[in-house]
Amino acid sequence: MNSQLLAQSAVQAPHIEYGQLAPMLIVFGLAIAGVLVEAFVPRRARSAVHAPLTLVGLAAAFVATVLQAGTHHVAAEGAVGVDGPTLFIQGTIIALAFVSSLLIAERRPDTSAFVSDAASVPGTQEERESLVAGDVQTEVYPLTMFAVGGMLLFPAANDLLTMFVALEVLSLPLYVLCGLARRRRLLSQEAAVKYFLLGAFSSAFFLYGIAMVYGFAGSIRLSEIALAVSHSGGNETLLLLGLALLGMGLLFKLGAVPFHSWKPDVYQGAPTPITALMGSCTVVAAFGALLRVLYVGFGGMQWDWRPFMWGIAILTMVIGAIVAITQADVKRMLAYSSIAHAGFVLTGVIASSSQGLSSTLFYLVAYGFTTVGAFAIVTLVRDAAGEANHLSRWAGLGRRSPLVAGIFAFFLLAFAGIPLTSGFTGKFAVFAAAVAGGATPLVIVGVLSSAVAAFFYVRVIVVMFFSDPNPDGPTVAAPSLLTGAAVAVGVAVTLVLGVLPQPALDLAANAAAGLFVR
Amino acid sequence: MTPADVVFLFLGAVTLGSAVLVVTTRQLVHAALWLVVTFGALAASYLLLTAEFVAWVQVLIYVGAVVVLLLFGIMLTRAPIGRSEGLDSANRPVAIAVAAATAALLVTVVVAGFREAYVELGDPPAGTSGQMGASIFRTWVLPFEVLSLLLLAALIGAIVLSRREIQPPGESSDERPTERPTGPGRG
Amino acid sequence: MHIVYPAVVAALLFSVGVYGVLARRNAILVLMSVELMLNAVNLNLVAFDVWLGDALRGGQVLTLFVIVIAAAEVGLGLAIVLLVFRNRQTVQIDALRDLADRDAEPAERPEQVSTEIS
Repeated sequence: MNSQLLAQSAVQAPHIEYGQLAPMLIVFGLAIAGVLVEAFVPRRARSAVHAPLTLVGLAAAFVATVLQAGTHHVAAEGAVGVDGPTLFIQGTIIALAFVSSLLIAERRPDTSAFVSDAASVPGTQEERESLVAGDVQTEVYPLTMFAVGGMLLFPAANDLLTMFVALEVLSLPLYVLCGLARRRRLLSQEAAVKYFLLGAFSSAFFLYGIAMVYGFAGSIRLSEIALAVSHSGGNETLLLLGLALLGMGLLFKLGAVPFHSWKPDVYQGAPTPITALMGSCTVVAAFGALLRVLYVGFGGMQWDWRPFMWGIAILTMVIGAIVAITQADVKRMLAYSSIAHAGFVLTGVIASSSQGLSSTLFYLVAYGFTTVGAFAIVTLVRDAAGEANHLSRWAGLGRRSPLVAGIFAFFLLAFAGIPLTSGFTGKFAVFAAAVAGGATPLVIVGVLSSAVAAFFYVRVIVVMFFSDPNPDGPTVAAPSLLTGAAVAVGVAVTLVLGVLPQPALDLAANAAAGLFVR
Repeated sequence: MTPADVVFLFLGAVTLGSAVLVVTTRQLVHAALWLVVTFGALAASYLLLTAEFVAWVQVLIYVGAVVVLLLFGIMLTRAPIGRSEGLDSANRPVAIAVAAATAALLVTVVVAGFREAYVELGDPPAGTSGQMGASIFRTWVLPFEVLSLLLLAALIGAIVLSRREIQPPGESSDERPTERPTGPGRG
Repeated sequence: MHIVYPAVVAALLFSVGVYGVLARRNAILVLMSVELMLNAVNLNLVAFDVWLGDALRGGQVLTLFVIVIAAAEVGLGLAIVLLVFRNRQTVQIDALRDLADRDAEPAERPEQVSTEIS
C-alpha cells in the first residue's frame, strides 16, 4: 500500500451508531461528569451532587436501553453487537447498578461504608481527624460508573480485543473500590491486593487464549472465528487450547470452581455496597460475555466444549454448596452461595439453545435483585465496630427486629429456591432448559446441591429466629430512605418474579428469540 | 534455516535467559534490570518481524515507563540493596511443576499447530506507524476511545489510594506512616 | 522465517512468568512476572499478525492495547501494594492471611481496634 492510498483510507471517518451505543455512552459520560464534580465542586457538597447525578443518569441509560429494543445490528465498525440478549443484559446491569448505587449513596457519617481518606494509615491522627470531620472518599462514584460502563461493554463486545478492553475497564476500578472499606481497613486492603494479583494473572491467561484463537482463526472477530471453526480441520488442539484459556479468564470473573478462590475473600473484605455491585452486576456481565463467546464464536464446536462445561458446572454447584455450610461469616456465606448459583446458571448456558439463553437471562435478573437486597440487609445489622458480619452475632435477630430478619429470611428462601420466590422460577427455568438440551444428569446434580444449599440457608434462619438474642448483640440501624428503597426493590422483584413470573419470562424469551447478532 | 531464524533464535535465547534471571535472582533491583534486558530483546524481535511501531512503543512504555515504575515501587517499599532473603515462597517445587506442565502443554500444541507456518519477512513491512494509525482510527476506534477512559479510571484510582488530603497548616500532625516503630526490615 | 520459533519462545516465556507468579512472595516481583506473561502474549500476537498478513492489523493493535493496559495495571497495582506497605510494613503476599475460611472472627489487630473509634 503506497502512502497516497494510505492517506485516502485514513481520511475516511469511522461510522459510529451513537444511538445504539447510547446506554454505555451515557454511563461513561456520567463517569466523566463525576470526575468534573470532583474537580470543581466544594468538598462538602460533592456527595449531594454525585448521588442524584448518578441515579438520574442511570435511569436515563435504562430508558436509552429500552428504546433500542428490537435492534439487531453490529455497531461501531464491528466492535459492538447490539441485539436482544445484549440489550436485556445491559438493562439488567443498569437496573442492578441503580439499586447498588442507592447503597453506595448511603452517606450519613455513622453508616457510610467508605473510607474517609484512603491514603491515611489506620489508627493515626490524620485518620481520626478525617473521620471526625465526616469526610468520605467521593471518588467512589466516578469509579463505580467506569466499572459499570465496562460491564455494559463486556457482554456487547463483538471481537476479543474490545472484550479484553472492557474486561480491564470493569476490573481496574473494582480493584480500587474493594480497598476502600471504612471499617476493618486492613481486611479490605488485603482483599484489594488478592483481587488485583489474581485478576492480573487470570487476564494474562485470557490474553494467551486470544492469541491462540487468533493464530488459528486469523481474526479476533467472533463472527470470523465462528467461520474458521466451522471450516476447521486437523488443527483443532490449538483452537481447544485457546478456548480453554479464554474460558479460564471468563470463568474467573464469574467465580466458577476451580477459579473461585478470590471470591469469598474479596466479598468479605470489600465494602458491602461494592460487594452488592460485584455480586450482581459483575456476574451478569461475565455471564453475558461467556454466552456471547460460546454461542457466537464457538457455537460450531459445542460438542467439544460441552463436556468441559459440564465438569465446571458440577464442580461449581457441589463445592459452592458444600463449602458454604461451614462458613461463619455472613458475607463469606453469601459469596459461596454466589459460587453455587453461578453453577446453576451454567446449566442453562450449557443447554445452548434459545430456551437455555432465555432461562439464563431470567435467572440472572432474579438472582441479581435478590443478591442486592440481601447485601442491603447485611449493611443494616451493626454494632459498635461497624457491620456485625459474624453469624453468631445474628443469633436472635428475629426477636429483636422481626421485620429485618423476616426480609433476610425471605431472600434466603429465594436463594434456596422455595416456591413463590423468584429463585424457584429461575431454577425451574434453567433446569427445564437443561433437560430439554439433554443434560438430565447435570440437573440431578443441580437439584441435589440445591438441597444441600437449602440446608445452610435454613440454618441461618434457625439461628435468627430460634436462638436467644445475645445481650450485647448488634442493633439494627433504622434504614434510611436509600437503603430502604434498595431492600424494597429487592423484595418486590423477588416476590413478583416468584408469583407472577410470566411477563418477565416472556420478555426474556423475546430477547433470546433472535439469538446473538453475528 | 534463514539468517532471520538465526537472529531470532539468538534474541529468543536472550529473552528467555534474562526472564529466568528475573524470576530467580535474589536481588530485587537486579530483577528490574534483567526485566529491561527481556523487554529490549523482545523489542528487537518485533523489529525483526518488521513490526516497527510496536517495537518502539515497547521500548517507550515497557522499558521507559513500566520498569521505572517498578523501580520506584522497589525503592518506596524500602527493599535493601544487595541480597534479600525470603523472596521465594515455600511452594517453589509446586511452582516448578506447574510451570513445567504449562510449558510442555503449550509447546506441544504450538509446535503441532504451526509446523507448516513460514513467513517471508520484510516486503512489505507489516507494521509501520501509518498502517497502524489507519487501522486504529478506523476499525478499532471504539476500543481505542474506551482505552482512554481506562487510563483515566486507573489514574483516579491510583490518586485515591495514594494522595493524602491537603490539610490547613497547623492542623496536620507530624506523624509519618513509614516511620512507625515496626521497622522496615521485613520488606 | 519459521513461525514456530516465536510461538515456542512465547510459550516458554509464559511458563517462566507462571513460575514467577507462583514462586515469588514479594508483590512487586509477582507484578514483574505477570508482565513477563503479558509480553509472551505480545510476542505471539505480533508473530501471528505478521504471518497472517492481517488486513485489520488486529494482532498488532491488540499488542499496543495490551502494552498500554499493562502500564495502567502496573501503576494501579503499585498504588495498592504501597497502600498495604504503609499499613503493614511488608509486601510479602503470604503475610496476607487475615481473610480465610475459619470459624472464629478475624483476629482484631491493634491498629484496627483503634480504627473502630469513630
